Amino acid sequence: MRLLIHNMLSSNIKGVINGFPLRIEVDKVEEKQVDFDAAFLRKMFHKIEWKALLDAALTLGYAELPEEAPDSSVLESDEFLQKFHHALLELDLEEGALVCPETGRKFPVTKGIPNMLLHEDEV
Amino acid sequence: MVLVLPQARSHLVIFNIMRELKVKGCSGMCTRASSDGESHIKHSELVGGDETCSSLCVHSTPEIEKKYVHRVYDAIAPHFSATRFAKWPKVATFLNSLPSGSLILDAGCGNGKYLGLNPDCFFIGCDISDPLIKICADRGHEVLVADAVNLPYRTGFGDASISIAVLHHLSTENRRKKAVEELIRVVKKGGLVLITVWAAEQEDRSLVTKWTPLAQKYVKEWTGPGSPCVRSPSSLTLQSIPEAEESNSKEQLEDTNESLNEKLEETMHLSSRDQDGSVFLIDAEDNKKQQEYFVPWHLPYHRAEVSGASASALASGLARKDDKKGAVVYDRYYHVFSEGELARLVSGMRNAVVVDQFFDKSNWCIILEKTS
Repeated sequence: MRLLIHNMLSSNIKGVINGFPLRIEVDKVEEKQVDFDAAFLRKMFHKIEWKALLDAALTLGYAELPEEAPDSSVLESDEFLQKFHHALLELDLEEGALVCPETGRKFPVTKGIPNMLLHEDEV
Repeated sequence: MVLVLPQARSHLVIFNIMRELKVKGCSGMCTRASSDGESHIKHSELVGGDETCSSLCVHSTPEIEKKYVHRVYDAIAPHFSATRFAKWPKVATFLNSLPSGSLILDAGCGNGKYLGLNPDCFFIGCDISDPLIKICADRGHEVLVADAVNLPYRTGFGDASISIAVLHHLSTENRRKKAVEELIRVVKKGGLVLITVWAAEQEDRSLVTKWTPLAQKYVKEWTGPGSPCVRSPSSLTLQSIPEAEESNSKEQLEDTNESLNEKLEETMHLSSRDQDGSVFLIDAEDNKKQQEYFVPWHLPYHRAEVSGASASALASGLARKDDKKGAVVYDRYYHVFSEGELARLVSGMRNAVVVDQFFDKSNWCIILEKTS
């Protein structure tokens, strides 16, 4: 699971008001090289919740992103885009779990695949 | 459960088992079921129908979908995937029309045949079947296991969403509606949603004769409002449903709907004399508006042998053997859509408008745009 996906996922357990962002528990992280696409990154930038990406990247051991949410002027900086690219698309949670921020329910991530299915008593 | 009587070439569908499924389904779903027995469970707490129930039950998967959709796809995943590579041109056209860099969410992606179709877009797929999602992941796609009726995505993140051949596996209108709401919810304002479903009006009518129609009254009983949850055991009924002779199939291709109905009726009449004590419940009128089916999936023995899932499916009654065809046969549940039904389903959506709709290769298709 790449952090782009993490930035989109939200716990949808019945009764949970704010299921975003899911906390990450790491068992194994892999880095996978992905082609750099500046146009795609500029488009994604506006969708991304910065704090969630920053914390997720830190959890996965990457500390190069700016702490403060940058404004869109950074999109002109190649250096920024490279870091953003790496955090968003190249860090991959291979084994671990995603934890609902409200209930603590763990969604397992196995072989890079999050399982977000709910139990009968959670819907 | 379906038993086959070779001499009559007909299916015997024991609806008692479906009733049992339904009762199990609602007791699992409705936690407020009374303590003094199932007979006191109110029908308003069952799947489907009314508002008091919808918030409680619409996300709960009815037993019929668990058994005749999820478990079947889990069991047939490798074979299903190996035979599912043809891409519908209209779906490809839609995906290729999206702007470069779009984030596309495929809800119910199956083996992922549309993921990555437009190389300038980023695709994320989800499916409720873990084995199918593993196949997608092995092919390098970005996927997760999730339920199309309750997507674990934050609102408005996607640029477009697609639901290809998924809604017809949902057994109540509320669940089909909920899945549409989810497709709209997860895209941004101005985002497009493409939905395709199997049509009741199949271009190849001989295909339909190979399906097992489910009698309306029984389908209503486990999915609709206003039906008793528990009936007395004496009301156990057998229903015999004919399968048209294969030698006729060429002829039937050219048949009109009416003459096919007549033929079916005739066959049913004949078989009714063969069956001692069985009761027929589908009349010609029912047949015309028939939308609930079991559609067989034939898993060839040579494939079935390598998969342990088939042995347990046979043992548990999920599948049956057809020695003539040399295959293990699974039934998949379908609610096929009648003309206009998909448009009606989406017409209640306040934050989306229909931008296109068409009939393509026996599928009803619709494209929505999110307006707010």
